[in-house]
Amino acid sequence: MKTALDPRRLLIGASAPVLALLFAVAVTSVVLATAGKDVWLTWQTLLQPQDFRRALVLTINQGTYIFLSALAVAIGFRMNLFNIGVDGQYRMGAFAGAVVGGAVTLPTGIHVVVIILVSMVVSALWAGIAGLLKVTRGVSEVISTIMLNAIATSLIAYMLRRVQVPVAGSNNIGTKPIPGSGRVPGLGLVPGTPAEIYGLVFLAIAAGIAYHVLLNRTRFGFDLRATGRSSTAAVASGVDVKRMVVVAMLISGAAAGLVGMPILLGEAYSYSITFPAGLGFTGIAVALLGRNSPIGMALAALLFGYLNVAANPLQILANVSTEVVAIIQGLILLSVVVAYEVVRRYRIAAEQRRVAREVQEDPVDSDGSGPSPAEVRA
Amino acid sequence: MVANRDVNIVIRRGQVHAIVGENGAGKSTLMNTLYGMHRADEGTILVEGAPMTFQSPADAIAAGIGMVHQHFMLADNLTVLENVVLGAEKLHGIGDGARRKIMEISGSYGLDIEPDVLVEDLGVGDRQRVEILKVLYRGARILILDEPTAVLVPQEVDELFDNLRELKAEGLTVIFISHKLDEVLAVADEITVIRRGTTVATVHPKDVTAPQLAELMVGSELPTPETRESTVTDQVVLQVDGLTLSAPVPRGARPVDEGREPTTRRLLDDVSFTIHRGEVLGLAGVEGNGQAELVEAVMGMRPGARGSVELDGADISDWTTRRRREAGIAYVPEDRHRQGLLLEAPLWENRVLGHQTERPNVKGPWIDRAGARADSERIVRDYDVRTPGIDVLASALSGGNQQKFIVGREMSGKPKVLIAAHPTRGVDVGAQAAIWDHIRAARRNGLGVLLISADLDELIGLSDSIRAILRGRLVGEFDPAEVTPEQLGSAMTGAADRAEA
Repeated sequence: MKTALDPRRLLIGASAPVLALLFAVAVTSVVLATAGKDVWLTWQTLLQPQDFRRALVLTINQGTYIFLSALAVAIGFRMNLFNIGVDGQYRMGAFAGAVVGGAVTLPTGIHVVVIILVSMVVSALWAGIAGLLKVTRGVSEVISTIMLNAIATSLIAYMLRRVQVPVAGSNNIGTKPIPGSGRVPGLGLVPGTPAEIYGLVFLAIAAGIAYHVLLNRTRFGFDLRATGRSSTAAVASGVDVKRMVVVAMLISGAAAGLVGMPILLGEAYSYSITFPAGLGFTGIAVALLGRNSPIGMALAALLFGYLNVAANPLQILANVSTEVVAIIQGLILLSVVVAYEVVRRYRIAAEQRRVAREVQEDPVDSDGSGPSPAEVRA
Repeated sequence: MVANRDVNIVIRRGQVHAIVGENGAGKSTLMNTLYGMHRADEGTILVEGAPMTFQSPADAIAAGIGMVHQHFMLADNLTVLENVVLGAEKLHGIGDGARRKIMEISGSYGLDIEPDVLVEDLGVGDRQRVEILKVLYRGARILILDEPTAVLVPQEVDELFDNLRELKAEGLTVIFISHKLDEVLAVADEITVIRRGTTVATVHPKDVTAPQLAELMVGSELPTPETRESTVTDQVVLQVDGLTLSAPVPRGARPVDEGREPTTRRLLDDVSFTIHRGEVLGLAGVEGNGQAELVEAVMGMRPGARGSVELDGADISDWTTRRRREAGIAYVPEDRHRQGLLLEAPLWENRVLGHQTERPNVKGPWIDRAGARADSERIVRDYDVRTPGIDVLASALSGGNQQKFIVGREMSGKPKVLIAAHPTRGVDVGAQAAIWDHIRAARRNGLGVLLISADLDELIGLSDSIRAILRGRLVGEFDPAEVTPEQLGSAMTGAADRAEA
């Protein structure tokens, strides 16, 4: 968004996540030491995966869907909407996509497109419920999306019973598998490992670019960001904020519809009871860490993906529960949110100082600013 | 940033000491330092000869310094007594002891306060006296009054000055901050002038005239908003008829036993007016009498408004805010931080705000960055916005420069009507003159203006005709060539009605 690439500005911007990361490492080490674990061995295991190439592929794959989830969350964030319901939305979408995909026979390619569109539409509608409730009844989207997550879980379980087919070789149940014409083949881009990267990694890249263009280059994106920054100013500028809330929720939901697609079309081919859940919440964390910027979220998604992948051998090699990764992720998030706020305030103050210096103006006095907490005591 | 430097003031006991300076000269910063809200980097504060360091307002209060803020801090739904004892319960309790003390203070300084009245039933002048009483109740011997007359009409100002003289007679010290020179000359025993954060002179009111004081303040002559040659045409550009807006009265806002329980309250009551091409219609009124609602109703931001609004002959009553803006209504909002700017967006994005559908900001559905940036540069140049560039955040600019940018933006694209609410509030003298010039120039070219201002001189100077608004109704029509601030003040407060009661 910033056109001027001021190195000082970049340095300040990068310092927050780096400091947060170091802080998280330090605190995690304390936790490990307190629990009597081998701190050094734990980090060694995390940082030196045994099969580096395989870990790389898996990291990219995890990063793909985590990134899509973060995008969906970020669309809401840019408008000050806290869409916690990405989790329910992508599962609803992926389920509907799996059912339709397994039921129809279509030419290769078109089959894939149909599944993705079905998933996006269903996810968008599921998110739209929260948007409508907010503008018509004033229900906070935080509350309604949390509830819709729970409803989605039950609804999917109920419907899965109706369409279920046994998954071969297990007592798992799932939807009817999607035939070959509806699958997206993996890519053997990394030599020396049989693991393949999801073909839909390109979908994630395209979605990231679309997100950037939509928000920063279009009138619609301007209205959306203006509403997020100041809904009062947006109203005065002629934005129909209610309509904007519904539209933003629909778009956020449509993006959520993409989250399950790399797994569904590139790996699972059916929606079973083991279909991954909880990616919506990872998306919230990654959107916060990446500060809603496509590049930032991509890096954050890869980091979280890597931590998940690298955690797998921890139990065996270092006798440390893989949940330690959740501690690290949580700490990164906690500290980064604090660090960003500190940096944000510093930046605004620094810019004010710089402008005051460069224009050599009279000092700004505090006329017109609201009462500070201290004044209330008088 | 250095907001104050080398400030030297000696204030004698039992005096009213005025501190004058332009907006942004550092008056408030100085007072906040005296009141312990922030600490000075250098220098000392002596109270009765003893050096003081204030960590917080509590320290200042303990040293006998009290502050009456420009914006009142009273809870409307509590009584005067409850407001006064709030946070000072330990002094005289919350019952009869406190009531006695309040009556005693009120009596000895002529404040005329009834302790058991609800604050929401009080007028602005009464509320201010409650604020003064709050400070005295906490034992202050030195009172700081931050622009106390900004919210008062002329009659109330006179009453306030009588109160200040009483306080002085009882040996209290008053520090009176203002930028209204006639008031300062009327009430002060000594005047200190602040310019660019530092004290430039301390004078006696009998030794100086208002123009001399003004020169000390700004270092040059004061501009006036005079515009006498009329440019009013007979073409109607904005016609408002019977505009009415009701709001429900919140339950519990009034005591039940009072007998009057209206479920709705009229924020705007049958407001009608006409603005012609080239005409500035001034609207005088005490804040909170429906000005904000009127402006928002005309802008299409109040869904419940009834009545009709016509722009250039077209009925726009059902139009959205965006369509009204596209049709040529420009809007300088009262609260620039809430409605006029995206503070955390760069300046050039603020050029787009409110004009998201107009060239040069957009091309079809796309934001035209180059166009918006170039036009932002033009506004910065033409409106003398002091900024190092158009990529700085809007929040980094001083209030006056933010306002100049907003006025420049709203004047872009040849608007037919400008709705300007307090266009020069919080703006320094130079910028004020520039904004007036721009409004005058646009008026010559046929712009119709609805001007809302608390500054009666500005209203009288700029307007072609003036209406007063009181409790949502237009109550009088005045010719700015003849009207005095006192007459306007009476109309704004309904003084005529009150005299009968």
